[in-house]
Amino acid sequence: MQIFDVETVCVLGAGSTKYGKLDDSISDIAVKSSVSAIESANIKPQEIEAGYISNVFGIADKQVHLGPVIMSNLGISEKPSLSIESACGSGSVSLREAFANVAAGFYNAVLVTGVEKVTQTGTEWTTTYFSYCSDFFYEGQAGASFPGLFASMARAYLNEYDATEEDFASVAVKNHNNGLLNPKAHLRKKITIEDVMNSPVVASPLKLYDCCPFSDGASSVILCNEKFAKSHTKDYIKIIGSGRGGSPAALQGRDHMTTIPSTKLAAQSAYKMAGISPKDVDFAEVHDCFTIAEIVDSEDLGFFNKGEAINAIRNKETELRGSIPINPSGGLKSKGHPIGATGVGQAVETFDQLTGNAGERTIKNANIGLTHNFGATGASCAVHIFQSV
Amino acid sequence: MELLVQVAQFIFFKVCDLSAKQEFIDAAKSGKILARQCKKCNDVNLATVYFCRKCGNNQFENIFIDGTGHIETFTIITVPPTGFEKYVPYAWVIMKLNDSKLRISGFMSNVSKPNEIPIGTEVQIYGFDERGVLIKKSKLCY
Repeated sequence: MQIFDVETVCVLGAGSTKYGKLDDSISDIAVKSSVSAIESANIKPQEIEAGYISNVFGIADKQVHLGPVIMSNLGISEKPSLSIESACGSGSVSLREAFANVAAGFYNAVLVTGVEKVTQTGTEWTTTYFSYCSDFFYEGQAGASFPGLFASMARAYLNEYDATEEDFASVAVKNHNNGLLNPKAHLRKKITIEDVMNSPVVASPLKLYDCCPFSDGASSVILCNEKFAKSHTKDYIKIIGSGRGGSPAALQGRDHMTTIPSTKLAAQSAYKMAGISPKDVDFAEVHDCFTIAEIVDSEDLGFFNKGEAINAIRNKETELRGSIPINPSGGLKSKGHPIGATGVGQAVETFDQLTGNAGERTIKNANIGLTHNFGATGASCAVHIFQSV
Repeated sequence: MELLVQVAQFIFFKVCDLSAKQEFIDAAKSGKILARQCKKCNDVNLATVYFCRKCGNNQFENIFIDGTGHIETFTIITVPPTGFEKYVPYAWVIMKLNDSKLRISGFMSNVSKPNEIPIGTEVQIYGFDERGVLIKKSKLCY
């Protein structure tokens, strides 16, 4: 861990496009988002020394090798860049790699942009593409969609703990309430428990409103060392913890169906680096690709004991004004899930929250925020912890 | 001597196709699960694993495990990936094998309601085709 003490890594600027069904091309979306982060950081593109781009299905919009395209459009074609794919966790994995390189002193300032453009392919093909993120031989090939994989976890949870499908639904209701306060959210619509319960079944016990939408969108942050941050008269926040972990790629390889091993590993590592415990976290953006995922995540991250997230939800503890607000942005469920962008988008929300720029959804007196983002059913995971300055 | 062992191992790897997917498929077609038992620590791994997850050893003995077990969890899919439209609704099941600590997931046709295959239902592997591992109920009456 010594190497990470070399440089303190800061977030100097952040920006996102709206999430949703977008008409622009994947590269246009990515460039717009990058420009908004550069403007937020109040730097010149020439100060950026490298680009970390996260994306999964660029091929679906006829553009892979996105890094050089983005850098060229920012007028810095000579700067190195790379693309990182780690399924739905691509954004946070990209953030981690950028963090590590700034921490190690390779670069003073870098751009991290996550982007996805898939809605033009339609629901059936998007479902199919996403199934390629599973351990395909055992899962996708056997007809397991992503809702189906999480539905299997949901059924195991219902069987193991005192939980109901209505409890799952209340996670969706909460996140939609938060998303209503987020102008960039994909699904800005108030919903009720009944709306969720009456929505069509996608993969039992999960219904349409238990699932996040397929979204297009991009998010970007500027990471830099503290010397660079201090030389710019601009609010910044620090990344005080970064952790990663892995799980068996296929669900069948796991001993328990109601916990995600990679989340626990990533969280332990991030908490250790930050020198804090879960109770020190003021709010969290977690990977709620499905309602069950938020429940499992909040337990694996240590906010609640196993099986007790349900009581916390019933007691409204995870709501925006609760004791541990979860997904103030609306989460993947309401804000949307452009899979390459999501992990970076969580960092954007955390930046906005900790610099007091999250509008009506700003959590007062928040000092420490956590982001949690995984790929597939949590086969890969990254957790980051941020602190205001 | 060590070098000789390495050369021998290299030749062994070249000769034997360690990607056991086809062997796994053939076994599934006869209702068995092909697994690999570590020669060093005896831990049982799926046939598609190249190094023992417990001890890192790469010397295994193939074992054929009876493909019977019970449902640990499942879903019934109504919005399918491409190619599965004609099978809707169908179940995707994770089963725990009776004779091993291993779990196997797979496809189960003609299931429309959760109460048809509650958790714990006894099931067996009976084939492998374009739908992957095929699983069915072991008992007709429930």
